[in-house]
Amino acid sequence: MSKTEFDTSVAHQARMYDYLLGGKDNYAADRAAIEAQLEIFPDLAFAALANRAFLGRAVRYLAAEAGIRQFLDIGTGIPTAGNTHQVAQEITPESRVVYVDYDPVVLAHARALLISHEAGATDYIDADLRDTGNILGQAGQLLDFGEPVAVTLVAILHAIPDSDDPYAIVARLMDAVPAGSYLAISHMGTGLLDSETRRGLEAHSGRAMQQRLTARSREQVTRFFAGTDLVPPGVVRVEEWRQEPGTAADGPGSSALWGAVGRKR
Amino acid sequence: MTPSVFRDYLVEMAILCVWQYALGCLVSGAGARSAGPIGLGAVVNTVVPDGEQPFSGLDDAPVEATVLRMMLGGQLRRLREAAGITPDRAGYEIRASRSKISRLETGRVGLKSRDVKDLLVLYGVTDELLVAKFLSLVRQSNTPDWWTKYSDILPDWFEPYLGFESAASTIRSFEIQFVPGLFQTEDYARAVTRMGRKAAPPGEIEERVRLRLSRQGLHTRPVPPRIWSVMDEAVLRRPVGGAAVMRAQLTHLTEAAAMPHVTLQVVPFSRGGHAAESGSFTVLRFEEHDLPDVVYVEQLTGAMYLDQRSDVEQYLEVVDELSGEALTPDATTGFIEQVARET
Repeated sequence: MSKTEFDTSVAHQARMYDYLLGGKDNYAADRAAIEAQLEIFPDLAFAALANRAFLGRAVRYLAAEAGIRQFLDIGTGIPTAGNTHQVAQEITPESRVVYVDYDPVVLAHARALLISHEAGATDYIDADLRDTGNILGQAGQLLDFGEPVAVTLVAILHAIPDSDDPYAIVARLMDAVPAGSYLAISHMGTGLLDSETRRGLEAHSGRAMQQRLTARSREQVTRFFAGTDLVPPGVVRVEEWRQEPGTAADGPGSSALWGAVGRKR
Repeated sequence: MTPSVFRDYLVEMAILCVWQYALGCLVSGAGARSAGPIGLGAVVNTVVPDGEQPFSGLDDAPVEATVLRMMLGGQLRRLREAAGITPDRAGYEIRASRSKISRLETGRVGLKSRDVKDLLVLYGVTDELLVAKFLSLVRQSNTPDWWTKYSDILPDWFEPYLGFESAASTIRSFEIQFVPGLFQTEDYARAVTRMGRKAAPPGEIEERVRLRLSRQGLHTRPVPPRIWSVMDEAVLRRPVGGAAVMRAQLTHLTEAAAMPHVTLQVVPFSRGGHAAESGSFTVLRFEEHDLPDVVYVEQLTGAMYLDQRSDVEQYLEVVDELSGEALTPDATTGFIEQVARET
């Protein structure tokens, strides 16, 4: 698959997310896209915070309660506070994390800034989620696929249209890891948005973003977890998943994102 | 929230932050620590240990004086714009030029109480308590900086850089010719300084070298800024000061690269042409949400300070692209060691 062009003139999900989280590594097109999407979906800023908090809780659960020591984080985004390896290594310093993204801005920042705790290790792969062979091949240099791995696909699968068969992508990734591995997903949800808002967001992304967004229903999101046992409470809104009182996502608003974690049988 | 309401909200929070900052300075209230959702608290927390009164350390902390100057400047700009007053009109009011107003509003020059008082009247700020708080902050923002003692040798266009550098939370740079000042050894710094000033008396050269080395004090702060430098391979190959000085400098660079707050990357010649047709530059970023990045571009007889988002963005794009093209930080260390062996 060809390398993604360095192009800041079209909005990119990673940089839009950075803007919503209060970062400064975003460009005019990214901010314009956010302004337009806030018009359609005013809870977008809340959704970004809730999603980030979900990632933190999921990784803490995986490291502290599920005993996971290896992470494959696809759709890394621009590094900010509470990146996967920081959360995991705070609990288990020897945690190994492989990050995957395909935005050149993410590449620049991630390679330079995602620096591991001495006891563990991090690596960064410049690849598209659809290119699972490449991802698994390179990730195998740092991760031991004989031991459980947590695959995190946070706010990325809705950027994969049905025509690219996201279910086959997830299946290929989960086939490569042993029983006892985990899958964590957050995903824009149809049942959580009224149809006008959903169509508005999907249409806007098609016009103005490098990713075309596809919302999916709770049932469709649950299907990604085929072959796993869902960790309670199952597929819920990200802000409801093992909520810890007093976290940043506490507050009014609805993320419109489904979130869940499953353990491979 | 609609976008415009969202924007208003951000501005409102930013103003609130300055006033909470103000309150914190005057009333030693513990509540001032949680200064809203915008990152003001973060920087303050790095200098005020838990259990101490917030903001009490400002007198002996030049870092905060610079930040304060920038925030007050930004606040003056917002007040001026809200009152619908042009920079020319504001300049006229304080017997100054339009560009002086711009320098005031971007924190590049100190604020004078008399000027601020006049401007606040012009902008329709009449609440005596608010004016008194503002002026009290102006006094604090005029705390002498550590580099004041070098004023004899310091060109006035370089002085703002020292303020920005010491206030920055992230310093990103691209260098095409020389090792960045923050990583220069004493001998290398002396060689560079002599090159540009062949006629200067030795005392002045030494003074300049001391100033450069003093800037490196930020490496040993309890919470140092993140320093991320991308260098062209030419920086490593040019034996400034001779082979021995350069070898020591290269070794020093590999040691610097091992510091947790430092990221070094080299763009090797083998990469062909790269994204920086601009030459060397530095992007200074501040923790506070509403302070814009500042791009510093040095010339022989002056410097440019860019903080318009449209300008800054072009430099950010170049430095992002260069960082992606450059060797990874790990590979860079190996590369510098290799060049040191060949020097």
